Amino acid sequence: MYLKKSKSVGASSPLNGIGKQDWDSRRKRKVAEISQALSVTPVDVAALRRMAISEGGLLTDEIRRKVWPKLLNVHTDNLPEKPGEDLRENHKDYHQVLLDVRRSLRRFPPGMPDEQREGLQEELIDIILHVLDRNPQLHYYQGYHDIVVTFLLVVGERLATALVEKLSTHHLRDFMDPTMDNTKHILNYLMPIIERVNPDVHDFMQQAEVGTIFALSWLITWFGHVLSDFRHVVRLYDFFLACHPLMPIYFAAVIVLHREEEVLECECDMASVHHLLSQIPQDLPYETLISRAGDLFVQFPPSELAREAAQQYSQQTAASTFKDFELASAQQRPDTVLRRRRKEQAALAAQSQSHAQAMVVARPRAKRFVRLAVMGLTVALGAAALAVVNTALEWAPKLDLQLFP
Amino acid sequence: MESSLELTTSLSGTSLPPLRSRIFKIIVIGDSGVGKTCLTYRFCAGKFPDKTEATIGVDFREKVIDIDGEKIKVQLWDTAGQERFRKSMVQHYYRNVHAVVFVYDVTNGASFRSLPAWIEECRQHSLGQEVPRILVGNKCDLRDAVQVGTDVAQKFADSHSMPLFETSAKNPNDNDHVEAIFMTVAHKLKSQKPLVLSQPPGADSTVPVRKREEEEERGPWGCSC
Repeated sequence: MYLKKSKSVGASSPLNGIGKQDWDSRRKRKVAEISQALSVTPVDVAALRRMAISEGGLLTDEIRRKVWPKLLNVHTDNLPEKPGEDLRENHKDYHQVLLDVRRSLRRFPPGMPDEQREGLQEELIDIILHVLDRNPQLHYYQGYHDIVVTFLLVVGERLATALVEKLSTHHLRDFMDPTMDNTKHILNYLMPIIERVNPDVHDFMQQAEVGTIFALSWLITWFGHVLSDFRHVVRLYDFFLACHPLMPIYFAAVIVLHREEEVLECECDMASVHHLLSQIPQDLPYETLISRAGDLFVQFPPSELAREAAQQYSQQTAASTFKDFELASAQQRPDTVLRRRRKEQAALAAQSQSHAQAMVVARPRAKRFVRLAVMGLTVALGAAALAVVNTALEWAPKLDLQLFP
Repeated sequence: MESSLELTTSLSGTSLPPLRSRIFKIIVIGDSGVGKTCLTYRFCAGKFPDKTEATIGVDFREKVIDIDGEKIKVQLWDTAGQERFRKSMVQHYYRNVHAVVFVYDVTNGASFRSLPAWIEECRQHSLGQEVPRILVGNKCDLRDAVQVGTDVAQKFADSHSMPLFETSAKNPNDNDHVEAIFMTVAHKLKSQKPLVLSQPPGADSTVPVRKREEEEERGPWGCSC
C-alpha cells in the first residue's frame, strides 16, 4: 500500500532518469553546501545530517573524514593514543577478535597488497581491543569487526578508534550487551514494519516460520558483512550515522519489501525463505531504498510499533503505569503479538492510515511526499542530540512520543 | 550421485516438489573457527571455499543427493560459533532437526573440551541420543599441530554413542571423505522411518518428525573412519 506509492516515486524520481550533467552540477552544489555547514561556528550538524541522508550521501571519503566525526559529536583534536602491546595478551576477547579479523579478507579492497592488508588487520585488532578495554561494559560480537573495518578504511586508525568508541556506546550499544536479548528484541521490530506495508508478505513469512535471523548480520554489521561493494557500505553508513539507531531495521524491512515478488513466489518453508532473503542482491537501488526507509520511519516510528506491543502487554497483565509501559516496550515481541491480534489491530491500522493520510493529503504528488518525509526525518533526527542517547530501546519511545504525539 | 546445487530462487510455488522427496535437516555446531562453514561448503559445493568469514547467525546450504534411486534434499544449517549467538539466536534452528554434526578442530584442544557443552546444548533442545549425531574432528591435514589425539577423541565419541570422523575440509585428497561423512548421516536417516515429507507451499510445516522406532539401536553406528 504505502510502498506502492514510494515505488512509483522510484520510477519518476530524478534518481533513475537523471542526466549526468544534472547530477554533476547538483553534486558540486552539495559539496559546497557541506563545506558551508562545516565552516560555520558552531558546525551546522542538522545540515550535515540532511546531506548524509539525501541522495548520494556524503559523496567522498575525504568529506566523510570531516563529517562523520561531527555526526557522532567526536572532537578530532584529542584522539586516543595507540594502545600498548600488553592489551593483546590480557584481553578476554583477544582470541575471538584475532580469529575473526584474520579471516575477514573480503572486507579489504581486492587489489590491495597482502602486506598492506595485514598491517590494516593488525590496526583493526588494536582498535577493537582498545575500545573494549576502555569500556568493560561492552562485549565483542562476531560482526563488530565488520563495522570497525569500515571506519578504519575510511578515516584511518586513530580517528576510527574515537568514532567507533562513540558508536559502540550509542548506536551499537544494544548489540554489545552481555547477551543478545536486546538484539533479538530489535529484530522483533522487523515483522511489524513489514506487516504495515505489505500484510501478504508478512503473513507469508509468518507461515514459513522463517524467523528474523536472516537479517541479523544486516543489523549488527550495518550491512557491512553482506555487501561486497564498499561504496554501497559507506553510503549506508552515511545514512545510519545521521539517523536513529533503529534505522538499520527499517532498512532491512525495506529490502524484504523490495523483494516482495520473489518472496511470495518462494516455497513457503523456513529453509527456502531464509535462504532467499539471506542472499542479499548486490544491485539494490540504494537511494530509492534509503528514502523509503526514511519514509517508513516517519510513518511508523519505533514508538508506534513498541506501543502496540505495550498495549497488548497491558491487556494481559493489567499493568498500566508508565513504568510498566517502558518495561513492556523493552520485553514484548511485537511480531507474535501482532499475529495474535488481527482484530484489534484493524482499529490501529485505521489509526495509522489516517496518520499517514494526514501527511499525504496536502501533497498529492508522491514525489513531494517522499522528499517531505525525508525532511521530517531529518528534523526528527536533528532533535535527537547524541547526548540524550542511552540505548536505542531506552530513549526511542520517549523521543518519538514527543515528536509524534 | 546427483550434482550439488544450492537452492535457487527458481524453485517457485508453481512447480510442486515431487511427492515423497524427503528433506533431511542437519545442524552443524561447534566452537568458532573449527571449520563448520568449510565443511558444509565443501559438501554442498564440492570444493574448499577460498575465503570464509565468521558466520553471523545461521547460514543455510543444501544439496540434493541420490540414495538407492531416491532423491533426497540434505539441508545443512551452519551456525555461528560464538557463545552469545548460540544462547539467544540459534534456538529457532534446532527445531525439527533430524541429525546433529558436532565439529571440533584437532589442532585446538579447547574446541574439543567445549564438546560436552555443545552436547548439553543439544540435549536441552531435545536432541539427545535418539537423534543421529556424529563427531567430526576437522583440520587433520595439519599433522604437526595436532592437539587432540584420535584415541582420546574415539573414547569420547564412544562414551556418547557417536561415530567419529577425522577429516580435512581443505585437503583435496579428502574430497570423498567429507562427502562420505554426510552421506553416512543421510543413509542413517533414510533407514529410519517417519521423516518429514516435502510439502506443497502453504501446508503446515510443523509436523513432528522425531517419532523414532522403539527398537532404535543406541550404539555408535556406521563408523567408517
